[in-house]
Amino acid sequence: MERIKYVLDNWGLRKIVPHLLRSVGGFPALRLFSLWEDYYLHVLIKSMLQCMECEKPPTSFAKMALELARRRRVLDGCRLKAVQPPKRPYPQLLESYFHMLEDVLINRACDLAAKPLEDVIPDEEAAALYQLFVSSDWYSAVRTAIHAGVGTPKRGRALLIGAGTQEPLDYVKACQVLNTRCDFAALEVDEKIYRDLERLAAKYGFTAYLGWDSVKETFDIAVATNVLNWATDPSDVFAKARRLAKELLVTQGVVEGMSILFLLTVALRAQRPVSWREVEGLARQAGWRLEERYAKYPVYIAVFR
Amino acid sequence: MSLAARYKCPVCGADASVAVTPELLRQAAERGAARVAARCPRGHAVLLTIDQYGYIRSTLPVQEAARPDCEITDKAPLAARQRLQAILEKGNATDADALLLEKAKAAGWVICL
Repeated sequence: MERIKYVLDNWGLRKIVPHLLRSVGGFPALRLFSLWEDYYLHVLIKSMLQCMECEKPPTSFAKMALELARRRRVLDGCRLKAVQPPKRPYPQLLESYFHMLEDVLINRACDLAAKPLEDVIPDEEAAALYQLFVSSDWYSAVRTAIHAGVGTPKRGRALLIGAGTQEPLDYVKACQVLNTRCDFAALEVDEKIYRDLERLAAKYGFTAYLGWDSVKETFDIAVATNVLNWATDPSDVFAKARRLAKELLVTQGVVEGMSILFLLTVALRAQRPVSWREVEGLARQAGWRLEERYAKYPVYIAVFR
Repeated sequence: MSLAARYKCPVCGADASVAVTPELLRQAAERGAARVAARCPRGHAVLLTIDQYGYIRSTLPVQEAARPDCEITDKAPLAARQRLQAILEKGNATDADALLLEKAKAAGWVICL
């Protein structure tokens, strides 16, 4: 029953990323991925519990990890359930992701249970890990496939919100896939990232903006990719995008169906989890109307008008 | 607003494009031609000569040097090692690689003399 619900909730993926879905092994592979994630979550919690008391998690990261484990039914109260590794291996494309989980979370489980996150993963290392994560083959392939599938570049001039450095590169690839002109600007609020973005902008011929106030034009479509986890005020993102663009594409990892991936993004400095209902609620509040929803979870993908 | 000029990679033959900025056209008008470095979609570095009308006059492959003066430290996580090794041996294949190498240096994963 749960599997059927998953397929129905994410049916639109077949429409926008059929090749990518097929290349990883279709919906069964996504289910297998989720089983492997739960197994890694189990290993992480088991290791963390050797260094802390379940009733009194000493850090906010530890508290978040326990809550997630309870939601994923890996933990029942404070009793760790037995989770076996799946019999089938995870798709080859995702190998680097699981290696990263081992390096960043599992090998540092005790420290993550006891020390502040910044002491375990300093800012410079978090920045390098983030770059490693977003520029990995699988992540880049997913981003490019979504833009090509939704046809974002064909919808006109785009504003990539909270773009970072990888999103513009993946967007350029999507333009090449669609064989269409790449007309976009990228907005960043982080000055350090903006400096890197500026260099890419000069090379690829797009406009880079630092901060919302610097944007002095309007767009056919705004693109918000995983920005809600990082934004200090997620409702502000929708309201400001509303003033600048006619359409809004949201692709956002949401807490439903999400497992240890969320903890990885927290380790890389994400602020908070969001649910797909929360995303739609915030969009509605800002005056956006849902045009098409392609997937609900673990990655929410929808276009608003 | 930039124009895009198309070219074929002299190494692999892939179709590629490069942004032709007004600054580049101004340089070409002043000097007769302007040179710009670019990468094809498969990561090959190419040196392009562009005239004042934005046409590409020549494409030359660029031999990138490996970085024998750099080494990966124990701080680098296993997940990053293979990719960093490839970058150090073959040079930055993509902009994402170049950014990763920069961040890896800042994080102390890679030390260069």
